[in-house]
Amino acid sequence: MKKYYLGIDLGSTTSKAVIVNETDEIVGRGITNTRANYKVAADIAREQAIYDARFNLIEKKMKESIADMPEFKTYMKDLRSVFQYCQFRRRMDSLADMLIKTASESTHPEKDTIVERLRAIIAVIRPQMRHEFIHEGLGSKNQFFRDIVSEKYNSEVGKMEPKFYEPLMLAFDKSITPIENEMVEYNFKDLVLEAMDILEEKYKGLADMQEDGSKEDWYYSEMNAMKNQYKKIGHTLHSHIEEIADEEIYIAKMVGTGYGRALLPFPEDCIKSEILCHAFGAHAVFPNTRTVLDIGGQDTKAIQVDKYGLVTSFHMNDRCAAGCGRYLGYIADEFGLSLNELGPEANKAKKETTICSTCTVFAGAEIKELLHNGEQKPDILAGLHKSIVQRAMSLIARSGGVKNEFTFTGGVARNEAVLKYVKQMVIDSYGEVTMNIHTDSIFMGALGGAMFARRNISADLPQGTMVRETGGEVS
Amino acid sequence: MGNTIYTMGIDVGGSYVKTVLMSYDKESGQHRLIDKQTEKIRKRDPKDVAHDSIDMILERNNLNYEKDIAYLASTGEGEMVDKKTGHFYSMTTHARGGIFLTPGARTVVDMGGLYVRAIKIDERGKVLDYKMTGQCASGSGQFIENISRYLGLAVEEVGDISMQADNPEVPSGICAVLAETDVINMVSKGASTPNIIKGINISIAQRVVKLLSSLKAESPISLMGGMGMNKGMIQAIEEVASENKKSDIKFQSHPDAIFSGAIGAALWGGYRYHVLKEKSGQELVAS
Repeated sequence: MKKYYLGIDLGSTTSKAVIVNETDEIVGRGITNTRANYKVAADIAREQAIYDARFNLIEKKMKESIADMPEFKTYMKDLRSVFQYCQFRRRMDSLADMLIKTASESTHPEKDTIVERLRAIIAVIRPQMRHEFIHEGLGSKNQFFRDIVSEKYNSEVGKMEPKFYEPLMLAFDKSITPIENEMVEYNFKDLVLEAMDILEEKYKGLADMQEDGSKEDWYYSEMNAMKNQYKKIGHTLHSHIEEIADEEIYIAKMVGTGYGRALLPFPEDCIKSEILCHAFGAHAVFPNTRTVLDIGGQDTKAIQVDKYGLVTSFHMNDRCAAGCGRYLGYIADEFGLSLNELGPEANKAKKETTICSTCTVFAGAEIKELLHNGEQKPDILAGLHKSIVQRAMSLIARSGGVKNEFTFTGGVARNEAVLKYVKQMVIDSYGEVTMNIHTDSIFMGALGGAMFARRNISADLPQGTMVRETGGEVS
Repeated sequence: MGNTIYTMGIDVGGSYVKTVLMSYDKESGQHRLIDKQTEKIRKRDPKDVAHDSIDMILERNNLNYEKDIAYLASTGEGEMVDKKTGHFYSMTTHARGGIFLTPGARTVVDMGGLYVRAIKIDERGKVLDYKMTGQCASGSGQFIENISRYLGLAVEEVGDISMQADNPEVPSGICAVLAETDVINMVSKGASTPNIIKGINISIAQRVVKLLSSLKAESPISLMGGMGMNKGMIQAIEEVASENKKSDIKFQSHPDAIFSGAIGAALWGGYRYHVLKEKSGQELVAS
């Protein structure tokens, strides 16, 4: 039996899971947002990683078909997105019930009208989300349940009478947390088959698009190919799915790391510090790395490693969240942007507005004032991004400076404006050094954990649900 | 009612816009609070919120702005309010509003959305000295708001819930943002909502008490601003103060504490109006 190794990085904002095989190759990744229940976050991340591994295995089996026919690739991409929708829909059902329940139990004098408004909102946002998942690839946009729903919900609440604004927002705040902290069990095979049915619906409807006269020929030629092929692809897939769904992803060992690690029911031997894991993961991907900068949700770490990937020195922020991912989250919220839009928006700047406040919350208030004084959004954002990097640079300086090669990891490394300033400032202060930025930067901690699991963790796995796959036959 | 003039005060804060309508009776020399309004800013433009609240109050009281309002005084971030007659510095408005609501106060603490200011005053409300928290939101109302939002509570519920605590969990994080993660941990360890809220109140109270002792604040101390309406917060401040052997200090508050700035502004506005009137010899606006 093939052995797999699991690393779970429970960050303050997101929980990441990585599964590696016996040669340290990443076979699956999972990510979810961290909320009140670390155990659930860990379970969801692990489950996502296992699903991802199954999809990767299916794609591996279909390698030749995929190489020959691009339709296969499109189909698989669509299938993953719709698969996510199938999971999403179950959560959405629970949330809708919870919202109605919360509102019905409130003491608000206009309770009935609020419930009525809620039903109207749900009726609008449900098909919206379904459409975006199935036709616009929402599943591939790295957004979590809460983000997707709250964005749509808030926008609908904004259209309601102002007097219902607070009660409707409160109903959401009260309902979302319990739903997020609830572990929903899925069966991989059922979900994939359901997703395939939905896809069939999508592709069947393609006939109408043909006569649309649109200029985007490439799109329609691909879709037309899809229309002719989807049944065949579906048929080919079926046998692979049967096989992979029944295959046991045997997690031989695991390591937990990150902010929430101490709260998990893992044996002590299965827990490693996130500084060790980040450095180890980054070093594994880039073996010549000597300096690692990791900017996560609520901490920024500058780590120096030796040639074995072991930590020789580090510095991190404490006492204050300024300069971390949460800072960006706050700011995004203040501007009404999603996190993914921040970097591109900041890069449109013509200058950098100086932000005086260090504190995340105060900076949020300062922004309102700057906007009011006529400062441009991109310029303010550029100033904020620059200040984040300046803070990171001072941590790097205290930890011993940048040595060749430099690796930037953590969720914030996905932000292109931060990246731009990091490159600029590292070169300004330390000259030309090799800089590594990996698309998987957010998974480095989990990867390090999984690699530690494969190497030197001798403890047995904890008994219980952590190692068992939900919905499967494995016990 | 020919002897009555009306003034309005508007206090634009970090999270709420507070508006009051006050009257002054020339014969008796009495000021009265006629109407009040709070509006949460959330993501709206504070300026629009301010103008809406002014209009709402005028409409409710059947008053005409041009004809009936002698003075519209702004404070806080209220300089943006176009209709205002004049703007007053929030230190003086909270001091004045503080003694209007709680006569005899020697220190007024404005506990608002972003800052906590402790203001030492004389018996007439003149500012003698002040101290404020400046660089960090860990003592702010925003802190409580974030946590209560996370816990799914309405801000108005927070005070009563805090009073039910039996074993408060004080967050170790000093930062308002990091403390949110602390709270997530507490929830995951099974701490009760009252204990979490009380813990947050204590951590803010510790900052307030520290501020008060560095100011050498004199008793009685009036707790004003949005957090002054939070009974749980007042209880926490009293507890922290008595733990610090400052039990001789008398704390007081008022159900309208959130309006202290707006009330102070309206009163100062009325005063300014009188001064102007005396200088120019104009008649009072009759209504």
